[in-house]
Amino acid sequence: MIDLAIIGGGPAGQAAAEQAAAAGLSVAVFDEQPRPGGQIARQPPAGFTVPDWLAGRAYAEVRAQLARFEGLGGVAWHGGTAVAGLAAGADGFRLTVVTPDGAERVAARRVLVAAGCYDLPVPLPGWTLPGVMSAGAAQAFVKSQRIVPGGRFVLAGTHPLMLVVAAQIVESGGVVAAVMFDQPLGRCVARALADPLTIVRHAGLFVDAAAARRVLARAGVPVRFGRPLAAVEGSEAVAAARFADGSIMACDRVALCYGFVPQADLPRQAGATVRWQAVAGGWATAHDAWMETDRPGLFVAGETTGVGGAAIALCEGRLAGIGIARSLGRLDDAAAAGLARATRRRHARLSGFARMLAAIADPAEVLARVPPADTILCRCEDVTHAEIDAVLATATAPNAVKLATRCGMGVCQGRMCEGALLRRIAAADGTAPGAAGGFTARFPARLVPIDLLCGLDDVSAEAVAD
Amino acid sequence: MRIAGTERGAPFTLFVDGEEMAAFAGETIATAMLADGRAAMRRDRSGAPRGLFCNMGTCSECLVTLRGDGGARRVRACLTPAAPGLRVETGPAA
Ligand code: FES
Repeated sequence: MIDLAIIGGGPAGQAAAEQAAAAGLSVAVFDEQPRPGGQIARQPPAGFTVPDWLAGRAYAEVRAQLARFEGLGGVAWHGGTAVAGLAAGADGFRLTVVTPDGAERVAARRVLVAAGCYDLPVPLPGWTLPGVMSAGAAQAFVKSQRIVPGGRFVLAGTHPLMLVVAAQIVESGGVVAAVMFDQPLGRCVARALADPLTIVRHAGLFVDAAAARRVLARAGVPVRFGRPLAAVEGSEAVAAARFADGSIMACDRVALCYGFVPQADLPRQAGATVRWQAVAGGWATAHDAWMETDRPGLFVAGETTGVGGAAIALCEGRLAGIGIARSLGRLDDAAAAGLARATRRRHARLSGFARMLAAIADPAEVLARVPPADTILCRCEDVTHAEIDAVLATATAPNAVKLATRCGMGVCQGRMCEGALLRRIAAADGTAPGAAGGFTARFPARLVPIDLLCGLDDVSAEAVAD
Repeated sequence: MRIAGTERGAPFTLFVDGEEMAAFAGETIATAMLADGRAAMRRDRSGAPRGLFCNMGTCSECLVTLRGDGGARRVRACLTPAAPGLRVETGPAA
């Protein structure tokens, strides 16, 4: 049995591994990507040479952490490995890990879920056309696989990250037709100015956004505010973006950027308490000051605890690593508190900025709009809003709606539709989204070929639980 | 479009719906398809084409069928490395 299994090789997982290894723990890190980095520093494949990869100052801290992590001894890296199951046992946890070659169980005394986040899905007409992708998807192609994944992009959404992604596409030789913010500029400014001290403290990040805008201005890319995306048009693939004011913009790619929601499957599977995130929704896992959940021995860090960005993830990873060493008796309380002090202060400072960014990017108005009845809400099972609404007349429990419509039954395990469904339910019965819980989290959290699972000794336990 | 200035792995070819397609070692199936102008990766129940959405293993919109001698397997194109001679299909699941 290993001391610590970490799920997620991004900044939080790396920082935790560093602390845990320093305290003498045996550590294994699992990630679906082949190399460490997470989405923020998703590395090019090992055989690629990329001059000036993520050279910008905004990436300096995560790159430094990555370099330290890759130099660590005593940490086993398991890339290309999905964790499909997490269950608490008598003296630790049991993970079900899957590679293309097979599935196996891993036993660990402590587990850290640092699984990051994903782009908030916002159903709208045409969003299932090939060529519509999340802004994060487009950005990852540029960072890691080194392609511009389309000919002519429209970026649409509420999140300022759009500026960065658009600039990266342009600097890579791609074409961006426009960056279209849903909200008016005045609202962004007002929300930023509501907290001037935070602007001063994090001036560097505003400089980065300004640099991205300069890149776009030089390339002649319009950046517009108050331009909600109404639909994506095309028959077999994206042909144009249509906006609420009736204007139409020709393109072959639409990248959506409305914010981010935590990856929460594994903490939910293990029975940890989760809370619905206030702004963009999604389940944030609750934790104590050492990042431990209410499942003793299960820790969380980074976006899993609520979306806050890479700098916060680094802090939380450090705290979790120290906390785990402490919980295994490798550090006494005083030593742990001393190690954590500076990190706690930094975390508190960064939280103000995360809140401001969330307020600027707030997708509430977008999420309150009801798309046309034939818009697909559940992408895996092709369930439309109309089919959901028909069931909501008689049943509003998430699992009941799932059973009646198949919404959430598909291979994505509800990650793409749960938020939209919970918002429909909330609108129907006058509650807040997530108030009545969500889908029951199921095994497997990731797509697993069934023949791989058959090699496991007691897979029937999961099958029955399902 | 592959970004200029990046040195990639060794070139090879694979097949998508029977057509030959170029790729470089280290690329995912999704990368090779998008660089080749192929955005559709699967078909939904109505037969409409679907393409990659998240590019990080979360949504499963990029499910393609890999045809091998031992049968067919559905994989996420955004996570699965392209490999020489691979036979990829984007039609309805077999
Ligand atoms: S594009 Fe989402 S899983 Fe591949």
